Amino acid sequence: MSDGQIVVSHLTKHYPKVRAVDDLSFTVEPGRVTGFLGPNGAGKTTTLRMLLNLVKPTSGTATIGGRRYADLPQPLRQVGAVLEASSAHRGRTGRNHLRVIAAAAGIPDRRVDEVLALVGLTPAARRKFKGYSMGMRQRLGIAGAMLGDPQVLILDEPANGLDPEGIRWMRDLLQKLASEGRTILVSSHLLSEMQLLADDVVIIAAGKLVTQGTVDEVIGGMSEAGRVRVRTPDPERLTAELGEKATVEPGRDGVLLVTGVDAPEVGAAALRAGVELHELVTERPDLERVFLELTAGKEAIR
Amino acid sequence: MTAVTTDAGPTPGTAGPTPIRLIRSEFRKLRTTNAWWLFLLGALVMLGLAILFNWLQADFVFNGPDTEGLSEEDAATVLAQANPIFQAANLYTSGQFFGLLFVMMVGIIIVTSEFHHQTATATFLTSPHRTAVIMAKLVVAALFGVGLWLVSLLVNVPATIGILGVYDQPAMLDEWPVQRAILLNLLAYALWGVLGIGLGVLIRSQLGATITAAVLYLIGTTAVTLGVFLLQQWLGAEWIDELQYIFPSVASGLMVSGTSLPGQPPYWVGALILVGWAVVTGVVGTLITRRRDIS
Repeated sequence: MSDGQIVVSHLTKHYPKVRAVDDLSFTVEPGRVTGFLGPNGAGKTTTLRMLLNLVKPTSGTATIGGRRYADLPQPLRQVGAVLEASSAHRGRTGRNHLRVIAAAAGIPDRRVDEVLALVGLTPAARRKFKGYSMGMRQRLGIAGAMLGDPQVLILDEPANGLDPEGIRWMRDLLQKLASEGRTILVSSHLLSEMQLLADDVVIIAAGKLVTQGTVDEVIGGMSEAGRVRVRTPDPERLTAELGEKATVEPGRDGVLLVTGVDAPEVGAAALRAGVELHELVTERPDLERVFLELTAGKEAIR
Repeated sequence: MTAVTTDAGPTPGTAGPTPIRLIRSEFRKLRTTNAWWLFLLGALVMLGLAILFNWLQADFVFNGPDTEGLSEEDAATVLAQANPIFQAANLYTSGQFFGLLFVMMVGIIIVTSEFHHQTATATFLTSPHRTAVIMAKLVVAALFGVGLWLVSLLVNVPATIGILGVYDQPAMLDEWPVQRAILLNLLAYALWGVLGIGLGVLIRSQLGATITAAVLYLIGTTAVTLGVFLLQQWLGAEWIDELQYIFPSVASGLMVSGTSLPGQPPYWVGALILVGWAVVTGVVGTLITRRRDIS
């Protein structure tokens, strides 16, 4: 198997009235789950479709393991993709849907039953697609992507329409697949989910790259890093002891939100002042706040 | 790797979308949905009606048609139709008019359902070479036409022999014009599948394409024949009459006529025109599909 690095390089797509993707470059590494984030309309789907040779770029290139998708000799064995939950014929059974794909790719039919079992769809395999719930449709999409046992998996908003149990199932599956050394690229606008799932993130807005890095780097690089939440019955004395360096904002129920100093310093100050502490927590900014800060003003409808 | 990974088939390198595999896949697509047998059923019903209609026509001419009161030209046409070979060819190719319509419909649906049900994404992910996909669709649509031709032939042969027997006529299956009509009918069935694929690519909406095709075929044929007739009456030039054969359904009717009627171009002109239409729609359809963004 080739290494499954995805390289997007100066990718651009102009539609007559909009620059859907604008000189976008990033890389996605194997063995990790990479979250592809951006507000609705940021160009995520267009980018993924250009990567998969479904949409023709205005300029720029996108390669998977060093090759353009159209140049892969056996695309399904190298790349699995789940792009829309509703992409099967309504009158065809789930099993037949997969058999159609398997026939074209030269994958034996017994693999169809294997992937149906993998996604837990065996009991519904011979039911028609129109009777499938949203969650079942997503599972069928993933089954289709796994048919060729690919090195690279690309999913566009896979959590859409899944119930909490389905989301958890998907998270476990994708992390397991990444741990096997596969490249997993997942687009989403659900940030809380991405924080649990992803190792790396690529954030775009208005068709342009905003930032790329590990989840920790992206969160750590933010201005709001290291806010300390502290609760004490004697806020005045603690505030006085913390001194000039710290900025203290009173919260509810005697909570103080302290920035400028870290939690050990707050604890030391409390000890010096002989103040009781009932709570002392470093509040790390979550991906959601980072995301909103980074994409502020860019998510306007274009 | 772990349990997720299992044997996904024969040794890598032998796999991937080959033309044969794409054709097999397209066949599965057709076979696993309802369209094919619904159209087959429709074609069989219309075939029955067509045989009855052609029988009535044969009955009329074999019972010595009365040419009195007809113009010289019309009388010549009636007499030419009274030729037993003409009648035999007509009977053996019964059901062509609606059969071709249904073959075209299946061709249209083979393409438009990919967009209607958004399966085009999965199809082109499996085979990024879109020309190969369209070729496979052309083959399957043409083969569906061949299948329908075979079914109609299996009904037409015994029915025609029986009908001809009523008028003490031989089966005439050894007559070249009759054989030729049957074979060219096969060509027509295959080519109309190709026309359907081309039309489906041009009009991606399933409803839009099927309705357009049905209207063009059912009303268009009459409208073209009538329009050409009026134009010819108005301008008075003989050659204008030939223009109607450019229309595909008129051309395919001409192609299967056992013997030429007065004033008709020879059968092979119809065949050439139909091949031309199939090539043009097939090529244009392929070029459009290659360039189109799938979203």
